[in-house]
Amino acid sequence: MPRGLKIVLVVLAVAVVAGLISLQPLRRRIHRLGESRSADEQARHAVLAPPISTPTDVTVKAQIFWAAGADNVAPVEVDLALSADPVERSRQLLQALISNPPTEEQRTLPVETTLSAFYLASDGTAIADFSDTIASGLPSGILSEEMAVNSITRTLESNVPGLRRLKILIHGQEVDTLAGNVDLTGFFDLNSVPASPTAAANMSSPR
Amino acid sequence: MAAWLVDRAVRAISAMLFAVRNSLFSLACLLVFGSVVLLLRARPTHSSPQEEPQSTPEPTPPPAPPAVPSGPVIVLDPAHGGTDTGARGEGGIAEKDIVLRMMRTVREQLAIQGYRVVTTRRDDSNPSYDDRAAVANAYHDAIFISLHVASTGTSGTVRAYYDQFSTPESASAVLGIKALAQPTSPLVVWDQAQRPYIDVSHHLADVIQGQLARSFPGSPTLSTGAAVRALRSVMAPAVAVETSSISKSKPDALAGAAGPLSSAIAAGIVALRQSNGAGAR
Repeated sequence: MPRGLKIVLVVLAVAVVAGLISLQPLRRRIHRLGESRSADEQARHAVLAPPISTPTDVTVKAQIFWAAGADNVAPVEVDLALSADPVERSRQLLQALISNPPTEEQRTLPVETTLSAFYLASDGTAIADFSDTIASGLPSGILSEEMAVNSITRTLESNVPGLRRLKILIHGQEVDTLAGNVDLTGFFDLNSVPASPTAAANMSSPR
Repeated sequence: MAAWLVDRAVRAISAMLFAVRNSLFSLACLLVFGSVVLLLRARPTHSSPQEEPQSTPEPTPPPAPPAVPSGPVIVLDPAHGGTDTGARGEGGIAEKDIVLRMMRTVREQLAIQGYRVVTTRRDDSNPSYDDRAAVANAYHDAIFISLHVASTGTSGTVRAYYDQFSTPESASAVLGIKALAQPTSPLVVWDQAQRPYIDVSHHLADVIQGQLARSFPGSPTLSTGAAVRALRSVMAPAVAVETSSISKSKPDALAGAAGPLSSAIAAGIVALRQSNGAGAR
């Protein structure tokens, strides 16, 4: 074998070994970068989405459904100032669900998600319009999408009387699926306690 | 001398022409034989374009099937495909590729057991939900199994889902469902096609889930109802099976779930047929 070829082969082998050695630290750095970006995003979200407060707010023990382990959602009791108006109350609950999970592992909705609008019809039909980041930031899969929807529906039905069913829109539009699997074309039934006659306003406007 | 040379040349040319004629004759025979074979293969035999015996790239034919040849057609649906990668794991592995590998194993295993299997895709294409459903809806006795891999969940667990319909959106949809309830109505609302099969699908999902719980410790013992889009338009018993998870398991480990998955599906079909032939429409 010519001497020049041997030298080239040795140099290439050294380069490959050096590349393999530097691969692991590089992956760790990318992972750290992703984590810090997520924390930045959370801080930015907290600044941009100030708490919703209304004159009728009363601090109550609300049940917010976050992830409990890798496969389920479960209620966590938190002290939350909630409005008597069902639309504002729903918005406050959904904002708490997005912004304040006890730990990152318990998060069911992407941190960058925002609730763009919330409507409530007199028959108890609620419409929640989320930003498109709820779909783009959510890991694809029946389980993760089902947990996301469950956390929304169960949080609402546990804390807002009179809601009968929920429609989820993304960026103002009806979409086929949340992130490729769970069907969003229909309504999700909410089995909440019946509302008092004055609780549900006639088709409330978006806030 | 010259005459001798001419004679030799003429003999050589004659021999060459004879060889050419023989070759052409052989070629013509081959062409005729090939055409006949192609014509026979192209004859329609009630099969979808995705039917495996005609399309399987793998050359290994299944061994002689045992005596279960008259079962339902099993439609295997590897989720996602094309630009829709589905869940993504480390190193760029994608759900669409793993479910394709799983589908091949499940198809082979079920074929060995004598089941007739078709698939909604067998390459990196992405048929629409309706196109996938249409493959099952083309048969009178089908069972639809959609294969998925989750982004999340406890690693090494598998879940079976049946479609849990949300409330229909419009009054027309409600009317469509009422029409479906009449046995004589020939019309089916495409978006609600799964609705009459929910109980059967639930039963099938429970049996499959029970089997999966034995093969994959930590899996639930009962199936889950969820609004799974892939199942909504299927006019047959339909179940989605999702393995966890692409973020924590190696692709080979995920694809390896296909073996027990095949057994679970086969057990589900047997249970379905035992409960008064519920698979048949």
